[in-house]
Amino acid sequence: MSGSRRTSELAGPFCAGLARRFVSTIVAASGLACSGVAASADKSELVFMDRSKALPVEHVYGGGWDFFVGGGVAVFDCNGDGFPEIFAAGGEHPSHLFLNTSSKGGEITFVLAPLEPIERATGAYPLDVDGDGIIDLVVMRHGPNILLQGKPDCAFAPAPDSWGYEPGNEWTTSFTATFESGQSWPTLVFGNYVDRTNPNGPFEACDRNFVLRPEGNSFAGRTPLEPGFCALSMLISDWKRNGEPDLRISNDRQYYVRDGREQMWRLDPLEEYGAEDGWPDMKLWGMGIGSRDITGDGLPEVVLTSMGDQPLQINQGNGVMTNAPYSIGTYATTPYVGDDGRPSTGWHAEFGDMNNDGLDDLFIAKGNVDQMPSNPIFDPNNLLVQQADGIFLEMGGTTGVGTIERARGAALADLNRDGLLDIVVVNRRAPLEVWQNTSNSVGGWVSVEMSAPAPNTRAVGAIIEIRTEYGSTQTREITVGGGHASGSATPAHFGLGDFESAEIRVTWPDNTESDWVPLKTNALYSVMPTAGSKLKLEPK
Amino acid sequence: MKKTFLLASAVTAMIASDVVAKDLTVCVSWSNFREERWKTDEAAIKGALDAAGAEYISADAQTSATKQLADIEGMITQGCSSLIILAQDSASIGPALDAAEDADIPVVGYDRMIDDPRAFYLTFDNVEVGRMQARAVLAAQPSGRYVMIKGSPVDPNADFLRGGQQEVLQAALDAGDIEIVAEAYTDDWQPANAQRNMEQILTQTDNGVDAVVASNDGTAGGVVAALTAQGMAGIPVSGQDGDMAALNRVALGTQTVSVWKDSRALGKAAGEIAVALAQGAAKADVDGSAIFNSPGGNDLNSVLLAPIPITQDKLSIVLDAGWISKDTLCAGVSGVAVCE
Repeated sequence: MSGSRRTSELAGPFCAGLARRFVSTIVAASGLACSGVAASADKSELVFMDRSKALPVEHVYGGGWDFFVGGGVAVFDCNGDGFPEIFAAGGEHPSHLFLNTSSKGGEITFVLAPLEPIERATGAYPLDVDGDGIIDLVVMRHGPNILLQGKPDCAFAPAPDSWGYEPGNEWTTSFTATFESGQSWPTLVFGNYVDRTNPNGPFEACDRNFVLRPEGNSFAGRTPLEPGFCALSMLISDWKRNGEPDLRISNDRQYYVRDGREQMWRLDPLEEYGAEDGWPDMKLWGMGIGSRDITGDGLPEVVLTSMGDQPLQINQGNGVMTNAPYSIGTYATTPYVGDDGRPSTGWHAEFGDMNNDGLDDLFIAKGNVDQMPSNPIFDPNNLLVQQADGIFLEMGGTTGVGTIERARGAALADLNRDGLLDIVVVNRRAPLEVWQNTSNSVGGWVSVEMSAPAPNTRAVGAIIEIRTEYGSTQTREITVGGGHASGSATPAHFGLGDFESAEIRVTWPDNTESDWVPLKTNALYSVMPTAGSKLKLEPK
Repeated sequence: MKKTFLLASAVTAMIASDVVAKDLTVCVSWSNFREERWKTDEAAIKGALDAAGAEYISADAQTSATKQLADIEGMITQGCSSLIILAQDSASIGPALDAAEDADIPVVGYDRMIDDPRAFYLTFDNVEVGRMQARAVLAAQPSGRYVMIKGSPVDPNADFLRGGQQEVLQAALDAGDIEIVAEAYTDDWQPANAQRNMEQILTQTDNGVDAVVASNDGTAGGVVAALTAQGMAGIPVSGQDGDMAALNRVALGTQTVSVWKDSRALGKAAGEIAVALAQGAAKADVDGSAIFNSPGGNDLNSVLLAPIPITQDKLSIVLDAGWISKDTLCAGVSGVAVCE
């Protein structure tokens, strides 16, 4: 087989996906599978305002070697006003809870919320554990992890003893969760880094990971997940869309050194994928996982942050992932400013449609581990904006969001409810950044917040589909996990380009599928299941 | 290439040296040409290709393992008689070897091992580097307490070096003449990490150290800094790479040896081997070819060039080769012949 054929094989399904997604007469007439997308918004209009100074205090993630990794942020609405709050981990510095006081469409503002001091936090993920409809918070730590029970008005208290929560005492750097079939409470998975108690460490001394499964309305102990390979990101996702979510773990080659790999686990029974499953032996300096269907076939792609290449893997179906061609533009191997040709270091990765043109874009937080001479010290964050032809263009520099601090965790969320995704970035040894998206002339949008009966009140595991009049469909899975030490429980945001109407369909976690239901654009909805296959949509 | 194997191997010896390599194009895939040292290698490769009348085309992967695959496929489409690959990530270079095999193009894995029998392996003999380091230190300090400062734990070369060192030291260890009191990997080969490790070892051993086998000049620099802080500079310390600062330390007497790998020799050999393979020579028939048993269990056809241990009495070699200027070599040095 020739090299060029191999390339076209890589490109083929990707283009086909786009074509399926944008079944327009232009594409059909031109015969160009990868062009003619109905996107319209002018990317040059992407504009961000630096609102970092609007925070009531500077937030810095810091500390010694124990805090070279981590630095996460959790974004969630804990007072029901629809404006998401920020919890930021501080490492050896204080962690903070910032209450969102923005007004709709106004400048983003925050005030400091009272919070019992949390030391040595590495990151956090929001989810509703006890099914009371109020967000609870998992705070990962270098030391026992804290599970905070959410109370009204953004008050948090340690999980009561009745929850049976065991905090462990490891160096936790990743987390993911799901609601398993037949369970009333979620399954929590904690991923750990180097075992500091191993006298032969830190190399080849990765700690075990742990699974906490529920038994009724409490947790039933910790089950070790072995082998562990220094997990810096985990994501439970139904990546095959067969109703059986698996656990993906991205691991850091720096410390497992040789005998480790990127992992995929079946959840029940817990069993690692191997060569017999066609799972490839892939080694990365795995730092973060971003997941989104960008080809339009309903199957989620993944981007895996690392050092050098930030590989984007295209989901081919049947459990096969293949690397996207280099020309797709997301590999972001070295800094795009200056002449530093050393391989850059990626951490949090997240997809989101920043200009509402109906095409998901990609943000990657970058930054030197600390003073690694093999990698650039000034390593700008990436804002990779997807074009109509499926190629991603770097706009971190032109928009100003490509700052050069040692970035770690991040989040994309609409903080002021203007229909535009804003950016939060946590930096090691530098202040947290908030970038308000003030772009004009962008496309329409719709945001949906899932609301389901207890116990799984945020419908973790649900699949949302939004389609527009030409039949192009965007697919979104509600997950908890991934990124780098950072998670959001915010409405799912969809850019719609020029389309003024859209329809929504939801496949609920129990696999029941709703009808297609129309919704108006430029609005935030609460989406609930109803008897039969309808949906209840409530504008918020 | 497979089809012509028998014929080629029979005639290689005759054609390789006499025939001008007309219409041959050697394609070179660099992992990251921004790294200064490869410019020296490139000049040597070009020199060898010019001498043989072969064309040179190249691509720079800019540290991207994925771009490197695309680069190689692109060059194959342009037309390559043979390929020289400096792999960014040898673990993910497999598809490039598939493409080369499909197009019947021989491959030389340059400097970094591609653990696949389809690639010819050309590098310096890193096990021998380790032997030379230990030999020089052992000659200077035949007994006492040794420290081993190893390279990066993620670099297979670090273990090749350590293996060579062990071979040489084994007899003295068995005889009880020397004792290894500590050893440490150096994260990312960083001098600062080597210095920190050495400081900790000196603290743990109450400065009870007589010699240090350090695996390269960068780590040797960190070790010497730690020793100097304790007033111990001058005990035997090894290194490699022929770094300017290290050669100066050899002249000053604070480092015993820097094992030098002349990249110009490596580049020249790569050009010559790429031309020979392009002309149909079998890998096993390349001049000086031997089988290298790889860590992955493969038998690789290989040429491992011999490095040169530069000790204080051998400094004229690097000076005469134009590798270093006398001013740089001899800064602050007195009483050494080559600097007079």
